[in-house]
Amino acid sequence: MDDLIKTVRTYRFASGLAERVRLAEDIFRRIEPDLRLFVFSSISNDSAQDALQEVLKAVAVSLQKFQGDTEKEFWAWCYRIARNKLSDHYREQYAERVQSVAPDELWRMMEVSAQDAPMSPAVWLDLKYAIQLLTAAKPECYKLLWRHYVIGLDYGEIAEERGLNYDAVRMQIGRCLEQAKALLT
Amino acid sequence: MAEPAPKEQIALHEFSVRYRAALAKQHPTTEQSLDTVRGAVREQYEQEQEAKRSQTSEPPSQSKEREPDAPEA
Repeated sequence: MDDLIKTVRTYRFASGLAERVRLAEDIFRRIEPDLRLFVFSSISNDSAQDALQEVLKAVAVSLQKFQGDTEKEFWAWCYRIARNKLSDHYREQYAERVQSVAPDELWRMMEVSAQDAPMSPAVWLDLKYAIQLLTAAKPECYKLLWRHYVIGLDYGEIAEERGLNYDAVRMQIGRCLEQAKALLT
Repeated sequence: MAEPAPKEQIALHEFSVRYRAALAKQHPTTEQSLDTVRGAVREQYEQEQEAKRSQTSEPPSQSKEREPDAPEA
């Protein structure tokens, strides 16, 4: 069993306040960066900091009610809470947000990652290709590709978010990737 | 439509892993976020304690005796 899910399960059965706080800190140190990415990719930066705190609070309050057994289920559960929170309280910004990150900024982030995990020439080529694909994509496609490949939402989660069915999302993402590829050749 | 070619998936996956690692490095979990979490956990805990207290201090419910049916005329 994954380490994160073990801690979540331990939290579920913890009865003392001090133990719960310690476990919650451990859990949120691990999940906050990805929830931050989700929130900051979903609404404008002006509201994102407040929204992130709302999302963290909502996840923390419900943490003992999580019933799943896998890390994948846990993430799906966290993102569902985040999505509901953003949709309820930041509806306007949530619907409008389609803002791509500039290629320079994407490269800067790759350089930051290279400080801990150096890039081989092959990896550098992969990253160059990924950044080209993302920057070539049209805004709506960029958003889809970003949510699926960068944030890591699966087809089902994106389908739920958009009120579409699984296959429609799967095909849409496939088409977006094909279009981005075609624009590069 | 067939699944996208693995080359794109591999490239985007590598990008995602590195982007998220860089983001976590640049924006480690803030004290503000941890305070929010601590506050929420404490609030939840206090609500549970309060619920337990009110359960134990509630007097046993006294069910009202059913009144006998009126005698038939």
